[in-house]
Amino acid sequence: MPKVTFHPDEVTVEVERSVTLQAAAKAAGVELASICGGDGICGRCRLIIKNGNIDAAPTTLLNRHEVQRGYVLACQTKVLGDVEVEVPPETRAEEGQILIDIDAQRFRALYQEEKVSFRHEPLVQKLYLELTPPSLQDNLGDEQRLYREIRRRREIPIMQTGLKVLQALPKLARQHQWRVTATLGWRGGTVEILQIEGGDLSENNYGIAVDIGTSTVVAHLLDLKTGGMMDAEAMYNSQRAYGEEVTRRILYAERGGLEQLQKTVVNDVNNLITALVARNKIAQHDCWAVLCAGNTTMMHLLLGLGPASIRRDPYVSSSTAPPPVRAAEVGIQINPRGLLYCLPAIGGWVGGDVTAGILATGLYESDTTVMLIDVGTNGEIVIGHKDWMVACSASAGPAFEGSGVKCGMKASRGAIERVQIAADGHLIYKTVGNAKPKGICGSGLIDLVAGLFEAGLVDRSGRLLPEASPRIRTHDGLSEFVVVPAQRTGTGKEIVITQADIENLLRAKAAIYAGALILMKSLALDFDDIDRVFLAGGFGNYLDREKAITIGMIPDLPLEKTRFVGNTSVIGAKLTLLSQEALEKSYEIAKNVTYYDLISFPHYYEEFLAAKFLPHTEIERFPSVQERLNAQGVKALTPSPSPVLTDGRGGLKAG
Amino acid sequence: MPVTIPDVKKTWTNTINRVTLGATKEEGGTRTKRVTVGGATSLPFHHFEGAMPHPSVIAMEVWNVAPQDWPAVLAEHFRDVWHDPGLWAKKCVEQYGADLICLRLAGCDPVGQNRGPQEAAQAVKRLLESVGVPLIVWGTGNDDKDNEIFPAVAEAASGENCLLGTITEDNYKTLVALCTAYKHKLIAESPCDVNIAKQVNILATDMGFKPEDIVMYPTSAALGYGLEYVYSVMERARLAALRGDKMLSQPMICDIGIEVWGVKEARASEQELPEWGEQTERGPLWEATTAYVYLLTGADILVLRHPQAVASVREAIKQLMGDGLK
Repeated sequence: MPKVTFHPDEVTVEVERSVTLQAAAKAAGVELASICGGDGICGRCRLIIKNGNIDAAPTTLLNRHEVQRGYVLACQTKVLGDVEVEVPPETRAEEGQILIDIDAQRFRALYQEEKVSFRHEPLVQKLYLELTPPSLQDNLGDEQRLYREIRRRREIPIMQTGLKVLQALPKLARQHQWRVTATLGWRGGTVEILQIEGGDLSENNYGIAVDIGTSTVVAHLLDLKTGGMMDAEAMYNSQRAYGEEVTRRILYAERGGLEQLQKTVVNDVNNLITALVARNKIAQHDCWAVLCAGNTTMMHLLLGLGPASIRRDPYVSSSTAPPPVRAAEVGIQINPRGLLYCLPAIGGWVGGDVTAGILATGLYESDTTVMLIDVGTNGEIVIGHKDWMVACSASAGPAFEGSGVKCGMKASRGAIERVQIAADGHLIYKTVGNAKPKGICGSGLIDLVAGLFEAGLVDRSGRLLPEASPRIRTHDGLSEFVVVPAQRTGTGKEIVITQADIENLLRAKAAIYAGALILMKSLALDFDDIDRVFLAGGFGNYLDREKAITIGMIPDLPLEKTRFVGNTSVIGAKLTLLSQEALEKSYEIAKNVTYYDLISFPHYYEEFLAAKFLPHTEIERFPSVQERLNAQGVKALTPSPSPVLTDGRGGLKAG
Repeated sequence: MPVTIPDVKKTWTNTINRVTLGATKEEGGTRTKRVTVGGATSLPFHHFEGAMPHPSVIAMEVWNVAPQDWPAVLAEHFRDVWHDPGLWAKKCVEQYGADLICLRLAGCDPVGQNRGPQEAAQAVKRLLESVGVPLIVWGTGNDDKDNEIFPAVAEAASGENCLLGTITEDNYKTLVALCTAYKHKLIAESPCDVNIAKQVNILATDMGFKPEDIVMYPTSAALGYGLEYVYSVMERARLAALRGDKMLSQPMICDIGIEVWGVKEARASEQELPEWGEQTERGPLWEATTAYVYLLTGADILVLRHPQAVASVREAIKQLMGDGLK
């Protein structure tokens, strides 16, 4: 039998010929990352073949260079003879869900503090019913008997039942001595009996809350019976291959790619669900509801609705509040009769993810004026309180989600999430899970740019100053700053931030700040009128508000007024999945928010350019930053050293 | 019934920076004349609202290489002297009354003759010997080339208090350091955008350069080629300055000849476009009209080419200054 040796674990197993490397790894006790479970579609289980005889099925998930270097997908590669393989760090299965658990804790903390509380009444419920057997005195039909019992327990004026369920009911009820479990799905004004089972199966009822972002898709698995959060999983939105930004995706959809985009995102959702279901050892058919929050375009693409009109004057969407539909109709793999809900959008460019944010932060019932800044590929800003709310959207680009940045990654294990640059130029960083660094996530990028600026390693337009640090060098004609040298990373490749990355980040932060400023000005408000700022986004565990102010991403308000609240899109999605009351509230919120269109605002680009500077062209708007810079005397303030002064013959001259 | 018209005069809180170019013998240079621009306390020529102590000035353009593509109506005035920048400059000052000379280092352009730093420095020295007016030296616009030639240029003009340019957002460090070391003034260029204009000024001053030593170049466009955009950017910069923005309080320079003599309204001969009238009149008129518009929005230094345009713009400045000319 062929032998397979895994490095650097130095484990060898004997396996049957033609067994996959994935199976071999399992036999060897080597944990490999995988979302698709071996279907060859997630591209996570990458291995490097050192030598040996294998048969690798062709895949589009590896590029030419990788194939040349011996990369294969473990699940698509069969062992033909003795093989030696290396498990690259990125393929190590992530240990536990550190990131998400902390997210869950924050969710609970936020929940308490903001006093957002809704009745626990999940959108899909399972009721164990003991029906009174029929008699001559009580001769109601089986269906009516069922309804009567349900109405004794729940106040449900209108119910409906599908023919299939009705056909199964009489036999099932009699078989199980009239003890049945009814699965009730909330569909707007009515409740549908989704399924009848014999006996008490009310324990097994799960739902998935999904945040479908332009760049990332995050799914949380919930026990609908207890309301408990079970697990979470995240991945980049595979639609990125068709364009990083919303408009690109709309264009792609317009040119006949709608079906492809729909399939792609559904596939992502299914992959996440499969991973969650497998890891928690529950049955897929016990998952009854999926609730999605996302921007309007993402929801259109999920449902296969044409998004073309969203980007054209007068910017209308097919539906801002799509009704609950059968999840199977769009291809989502839960119970075939399970339901898919979408959170209602505010407008074509402010989606259900923002509705979720308003719900999760309790902005809609605040007595004082609050600003919610949701940082994503589109940055959305909401200002308001219990009497009024106004929202706008600014196209920030995916930089803060770690995408479109050379060494960017999402906030998962090994992502550098905090950075400090000490006065002596020494760099201190912390990674998610304290693992060896693999890349930088959004919060790390914010810290890094703020640090580079404060240390005088970039000028106010964000340009790296090569003479300021030996860590700054030129690579392919572009300046870059070495964050972690190759020998200390978990990937063996160095981690850098390039001039283009910094540009992307400045553009992103400028879009957000300019959007916030214009929205505020349009309301004739001043930043001083804002009582609290909620900063939301999928930044992982941490975001340094002071650093966000230093780079000019958020207004310079006292720190105690600003709070980082995490991924409010998925928090809001969870709230609504667990409570009909919350879902109804979300419809109300979506209706009550006024959408303010930045596209129609003539000075947007100008405000954007003014904000594309560190921290801003008008430094007076960032008094705390100005004060700090003055106090420490930024290095950029001193004239460049003498090397640029030459005597015209190329020789150096003392300055 | 008599009507009382309310007083709508506007008073401003800030003054445009005064920038003096050229250094005389007492100041360590060899200039016989100095030129000061700026100092305005109101919008241009609003003499009823504030002072405009220094009228706008005209710099004439001289190259360190004989131009190849100047149309005949322009070239005929300089063909006799353009083999020698010194003679060319002398003609501009003595015959056409230029307030300053703007030496464009076109001969160093890498896509043209690609002359080196020493040749650029020689042209500067030759000019300084030939005329007594202050000097503007304008680079090639190629960042790498400018960074290569300006060290020699700045040194050759050391002590003469010249105006060197341009710095941009993408390329400012070398020239800022040179102007600091050799005590020259600086042109800060921005692409028709008031925010970037301010940002370039900040970048230069963050290196310790004095904001009072900067002249802004907000990009220029010929009449019919986006002039109105530049006009409004300049107007907004000037309004912001008068309202107190110190980082936009710099005088402004307009590079007009190069723009106008690149468009067909000035270049096309009457054989090509007979309905447009005579080129000998049309060309200079297009240049003068363009310059005139910029005067109204706050141009402090106008870089021009054609002697007739120079004469008519000078007359316009004189008339616009009217009683305001002290």
